[in-house]
Amino acid sequence: MNKTPSKTKDLGAEHATNAPELTEHSYDGIQEYDNPLPGWWKSLFWASILFAPIYYFYIHSGAEGRSIHDQYDTHMATVFELRFSQIGELEGDRDTLLKYMKGEKEWLAVGKVVYQTNCVSCHGSDGGGLVGPNLTDDYWKHVRNVEDIVQVIEEGAANGSMPAWKNRMSHKNQIVLTAAYVASLRENPVAGKSPEGKEIAPWDQ
Amino acid sequence: MNKAKNVEGAAWDVVVNSGEVDSRSMLPHLESFSYDDAIVRMFSLATLVWGLVATLVGLFVAILLVMPQWTFIEYVSFGRLRPLHTNAAIFAFGGNSIFAAVYYSTQRLCKARMWSDSLSRLHFWGWQLIIVSAAITLPLGITQSKEYAELEWPIDIAIALVWVGFFGVNFFMTLVKRRERHMYVALWFYIATIVTVAILHVFNNLVVPSGLFKSVPIYAGVQDAMMQWWYGHNAVAFFLTTPFLGLMYYFLPKAAERPVFSYKLSIIHFWSLVFIYIWAGPHHLHYTSIAAWASSLGMVFSLMLWMPSWGGMINGLLTLRGAWHKVAGDPVLKFFVVGITFYGMATFEGPMLSIKSVNALSHYTDWTIAHVHAGALGWNGFMTFGMLYWLLPRIFQTKLYSIKLATWHFWLGTLGILLYIIPIYVAGLTQGLMWRAFTPEGNLAYPDFVETVNAIIPMWWARVGGGSLYITGMVLMAINYVMTWRSRPQVYDVPVIQAAPLSKDYDDGLSPDSRLKGRPVLNLAHKLDRFEQAHWHRVWERMPIQFTVWVTIAVLVASALELVPTFLIRSNIPTIATVKPYTPLELAGRDIYVAEGCYNCHSQQIRPLFAETERYGEYSKPGEFIYDHPFQWGSRRIGPDLAREGGKQSHYWHFEHMRDPASITKGSIMPAYPHLINGELNLRTIPGRVQAAAYLGAPYERELFDSIEMASEQAQEIAWQLVQQGGPAEIESGSGETIPIEKTKVIALIAYLQRLGVDLHKSPEDSTGEKPQLSESEQAQVSKFIKVIKSGPEGDVKRGKSIFKTTCGACHKLFDEGGDVGPDLTGTKRSSLKYLVENSVAPSFEILENYKTELVLTIDGETFSGTLAGEDDEKIVLKTAENPRLEILKDDLEERKESTLSVMPPGQLDQMEPQELRDLMKYLQLPVPPADLN
Repeated sequence: MNKTPSKTKDLGAEHATNAPELTEHSYDGIQEYDNPLPGWWKSLFWASILFAPIYYFYIHSGAEGRSIHDQYDTHMATVFELRFSQIGELEGDRDTLLKYMKGEKEWLAVGKVVYQTNCVSCHGSDGGGLVGPNLTDDYWKHVRNVEDIVQVIEEGAANGSMPAWKNRMSHKNQIVLTAAYVASLRENPVAGKSPEGKEIAPWDQ
Repeated sequence: MNKAKNVEGAAWDVVVNSGEVDSRSMLPHLESFSYDDAIVRMFSLATLVWGLVATLVGLFVAILLVMPQWTFIEYVSFGRLRPLHTNAAIFAFGGNSIFAAVYYSTQRLCKARMWSDSLSRLHFWGWQLIIVSAAITLPLGITQSKEYAELEWPIDIAIALVWVGFFGVNFFMTLVKRRERHMYVALWFYIATIVTVAILHVFNNLVVPSGLFKSVPIYAGVQDAMMQWWYGHNAVAFFLTTPFLGLMYYFLPKAAERPVFSYKLSIIHFWSLVFIYIWAGPHHLHYTSIAAWASSLGMVFSLMLWMPSWGGMINGLLTLRGAWHKVAGDPVLKFFVVGITFYGMATFEGPMLSIKSVNALSHYTDWTIAHVHAGALGWNGFMTFGMLYWLLPRIFQTKLYSIKLATWHFWLGTLGILLYIIPIYVAGLTQGLMWRAFTPEGNLAYPDFVETVNAIIPMWWARVGGGSLYITGMVLMAINYVMTWRSRPQVYDVPVIQAAPLSKDYDDGLSPDSRLKGRPVLNLAHKLDRFEQAHWHRVWERMPIQFTVWVTIAVLVASALELVPTFLIRSNIPTIATVKPYTPLELAGRDIYVAEGCYNCHSQQIRPLFAETERYGEYSKPGEFIYDHPFQWGSRRIGPDLAREGGKQSHYWHFEHMRDPASITKGSIMPAYPHLINGELNLRTIPGRVQAAAYLGAPYERELFDSIEMASEQAQEIAWQLVQQGGPAEIESGSGETIPIEKTKVIALIAYLQRLGVDLHKSPEDSTGEKPQLSESEQAQVSKFIKVIKSGPEGDVKRGKSIFKTTCGACHKLFDEGGDVGPDLTGTKRSSLKYLVENSVAPSFEILENYKTELVLTIDGETFSGTLAGEDDEKIVLKTAENPRLEILKDDLEERKESTLSVMPPGQLDQMEPQELRDLMKYLQLPVPPADLN
């Protein structure tokens, strides 16, 4: 121990030069040092305190675009601008539905995702029907023509068996494209739920 | 304390007893006393037992998430047992642990026995009784559904009594009677704990009882949420943080035999922690319907909380300076070091999670679950284990049975925590990222919610492994506990301690001079320097009452500034005209939702985040929840959000889904609820429930005196629709008898679910309830017909059908048979006899939108009336009784107007015999087409 004191000093001894002072306190044998607050600790504490009013007044100064709801509105507008600027506001008429049913996959995919979010629990992910009817066969209960699909999605049918979705979508295009996607399901019939309703003609006849 | 000292004490006694203390003897007047360690032994055993119970229940609910079919009976479903797990972990395991710490250390820090042994025991047994009643009531579905405040009002009163009346009084009287002049920092933290937990508990649990086991909180929606998370966050602060810091400040320097790192840091971090913590609650509610200012306050105060929390960590870890070599060989210090490190991690992560944009990702996911388990298993668990291993040889006055076993416990526990939290962090991030993922085309990448659940099931399996390791460690501790206890002495040695009472006259000494003396600085600088030297605080430390008052003020001021505006400023909760109170049946359904603990897996709060509104619909508005006592926003989405569930599925879907969720949604982990399908709803509790809601402001009228009848009517209507959609008309009850479906619990639950979130989009007319009245003579006719139909023999379906064909069937369809002029009756509200009779007596009273009659006058002077079948720029198309498509060019129109009269002639029922009426109505009210009538 005593031959090379400078190297074998333990941590406590190393601090001996500016050894922490003990307070006079003693509680059940517990003593306390009179160490100052660590500098980095004080700096970070002050920084977090100073940040508070700056942040608060930045967010709540009343300037537009900073609140959560402003940001949401901006985001939604941007997304719909990006998504639908090419096709505009769709109408749920026969020609539109037939066009998108057979048209680019990109637009049908919008309908497919809405379908998967909201419709699979009753109609199944392949459209084969669970509680709700099979959408891939030629037998339909409330639909004669392709545009009736839009009507059924918006208003519901059969006394609430099919819910009304009119107010639940953020954009009308989503309903039209979902109707187009549902119409397209008939192209790949699956052996799901047995047919219900009346046999109807193909959509384009 | 050993025998030698004891003898020494006895010698002192002789001296003391030999006569009056006189000033010449120079001996202080000493009092003799002993410490009550029996109560510490009781609380430490309870800690061990409840710790095992809490973690085993936790393991079981973790297994339920991956094996939902293990829900073999309703009492052990995830929704009911998860609150039991959290309550047992916090209040039974954590609670008994801090009581053991408080009772052991307070006596020694005050040099005084606990003020009253009876209160100590009342506290112990009262608390255990509360825990047992929690373990009974929660599986029975008796719950307030506010997280960590689930226990119902009679138990809440017991908690208040035991906490304040037994524990609080005993503790504060011990402080008053202490023989140590100044209070050590551990005691400050105990004071803050007792005061604040009492305040939180009382104000969060203010309720209106509607029965012995049922109550309704006085707060609703946004306000209830603010109160709950003011409570919930500070339960973490003042039940799981401050008392454990007190524990650390006593047992760590004791075990390390080193002085505490910094007295000044103790002062600063104590007061800043106590003051700032209270503000942080709203960070549990970022992006929800609470006011934006509250959310921002919650965030910035949480960030400010970082350093005060780390002050505790630093003071703990740096106390080990010069004792690190001991850590390698001492399991007590090992537990403390890792425990404090987890505290540091959790209190860094907490502020980070409270940053709004981070919270947008983490909220509702397992990230939060990982965060709290790092805190609970690491900090609370390990500090408790360290304390117990230190206490065992002392309270049982023997050697610890096995240090090796304790070291094994340490390593198994540490590995267990890591194996628990790492997979759950991964699960949380995975699910959060999947929820918000979009394809490049801007569509949700994982639109089907169940995909995002199935993706994290492997991580949930890993958690089962991690949890099991942690519990195995605790079993080793139980063995060590019992074996140590077995080697205790026959009779415990009770050392007699001697100490002088506090003298009345005490001089605090002069406040030290400014250290800047002689420097050219402002007077203010001198004052600040003297303030910084904290002599004033030293004075407070010998005044427990004043100290407690200051703590109370710090806590109350912060609470008031944040909560009171939520209650008083109207703009925080803008009302929505179309939002109406729940019907009596919906209230009953809501109570089932609460009792089953659905909020443990389903949120009811859609945040204004694009990914969320795409998935669930329009974001939630504060005004939608004004009748929600208690609020049901939830904090975790193990299943999808239900805020806009109303009208999303058919009744039949819900029915089948409750019967067997996995058969409806492939991969669903929701348990089945057969007891709701075949259990009868108790209508008798409804009036009390309605009264409570009315008392709290629901504008009820008929509900106040006729709620049971109203509930039955609505149940009949839903059951009728359910049958029409394909559901059964009756069901075999649990006891084997056949009951009609409208009497079952599931109908009430469906009524509630179908109501969720639909009021926002109602048109004002739908909800005003102020429909125009029928004239008095019409009303008289309606009652007359209903009376006739309800009396006499039951109608016959077959005869009814043939009457239909010759009357109504000319214009109306029913079950795909009949005319096309009037509306199809199949989908109308024909389940209601009143509806049918009213529309027959007064057809013009309520005309459906598409059946309004157009009156047209052409330029040729011809008039037509009929329903509008189509219209474009050039022509209108009328459907008249004679012509299904009458086209009239718009150029030919002289005048057109909408008639207020229906095409249907009134008085249809006047010509019928009573039996004919009964037959016809029977047929009209059939939910589904008759099987075969020929």
